[in-house]
Amino acid sequence: MNAILLSLLGSVIILDKYALGEFGVSQPIITGTIIGAIFGDVWFGIFLGGMVQLIFLGGLPIGRDVPPDGQAAGIITVTSYFLLRSNNTLGHSLFVAAVLGLAGGILGGVLEIYARRLNEKLYARFIHHEENLYICHTAGLLTAFGRGLCLFLPIFIFSTLFVIPGIFPQVHGQTMAIIGISLGLANSFYLFVKVKTTVYLLIGGICGLALVVF
Amino acid sequence: MRLSLGRLLRIFFQSLFIQTSWSFPSMQSMGFLSDVLVGVGEDKRAEIMKTQKGLFNTHPYMVSYIVGATVRAYDEGKASAEEIRKFVAVAQTSFASAGDLLFWRTLRPALLLAAVILGVHYGIVGPLTFLIVYNVFHLFHRIKGISDGYNLGWDVIYLLNKRRFKTVRQVFETVGALLSGLLLSLIAVEVNYLLVIPLTALFLIMLIKRYSAVMIIVSALLVILIIGMV
Repeated sequence: MNAILLSLLGSVIILDKYALGEFGVSQPIITGTIIGAIFGDVWFGIFLGGMVQLIFLGGLPIGRDVPPDGQAAGIITVTSYFLLRSNNTLGHSLFVAAVLGLAGGILGGVLEIYARRLNEKLYARFIHHEENLYICHTAGLLTAFGRGLCLFLPIFIFSTLFVIPGIFPQVHGQTMAIIGISLGLANSFYLFVKVKTTVYLLIGGICGLALVVF
Repeated sequence: MRLSLGRLLRIFFQSLFIQTSWSFPSMQSMGFLSDVLVGVGEDKRAEIMKTQKGLFNTHPYMVSYIVGATVRAYDEGKASAEEIRKFVAVAQTSFASAGDLLFWRTLRPALLLAAVILGVHYGIVGPLTFLIVYNVFHLFHRIKGISDGYNLGWDVIYLLNKRRFKTVRQVFETVGALLSGLLLSLIAVEVNYLLVIPLTALFLIMLIKRYSAVMIIVSALLVILIIGMV
């Protein structure tokens, strides 16, 4: 039951990615907060969402390019972790949730292409029946919602039922932080660091280290 | 000639759905047509359907500028359909490039970096700051874009040289660089920085060499697997 409700919630949130509004609600740091609040652990939700956010920081949806779906990865990682946690150890749960989340991000990108192909059919219908413009256009919400449901429901049911064998690797919050910070630094250097902004990077670095020390 | 509040709100609301039916052959075509039609009204529907159907793609927040100017052109009734189509063709690429640079490449990643740093250190303050600051800029362009597009007509394209685009981008590039350095403060969550340094170098090389995003995510997965097994 929880898996179905969470899949419906995830599918509604993922509409914000491109189909409705694009207010930024579907960004992993926000969904991590929302899902963490639902499961009563806001801080870990923010932390996990934040690390997924850093991993996908450089995925820019420019033009026809459909990068891996960072928003879906955020929803899957955080929700799966909390669902798996009820039957498994924390280390095992985090490992499986991270694998499901990152793989789900790649799968989400593929499903997005299929959703957009379905929208081609809506466009073809509109071309032959111009009076149906608003119906064909709004039906795009259903393809986006359906994409979310197809992605989230099987993964969340799996996370609810799966008992992780003891031989599986375990990871902890620090491992996610290592990956998140490394990819976050690489992405942000790539996006922001130029000759003229190097000085600000150094100032930020000194302030960051000062925050750690003091 | 002024745009009434009712029409502005209708165009704004419809613009929230601009990408709803995004498809490869037409991109945002149906979204653009729907938005222009709620602004112009039923009497021009047949003419617009006949002449403005076809590929349309721009940055989703910037569409307001183009819709505002297009609605103005139909209200005045002086420009031919061909002239309007030419304007839309030029404006969509110019605004797409400006919007991608401003929002996708600069403002959003910079604010997300701030959200993560604040979130890890101070909890819910981070996500809330992102939602508020990001949507101030987002909604400003969505709403002001419609009225500017309508008031300036085809001259709206010259707004791209204004401060709201150039200065904001420069400021957030600087903020982004500062926050990139501040990201080091996350070492406070007790990570092994001896692993962070080589991994950052590896991922940076992959980004510079333009490895696909999928390849980078798969590499991250492998690293998690290796660390988990060790």
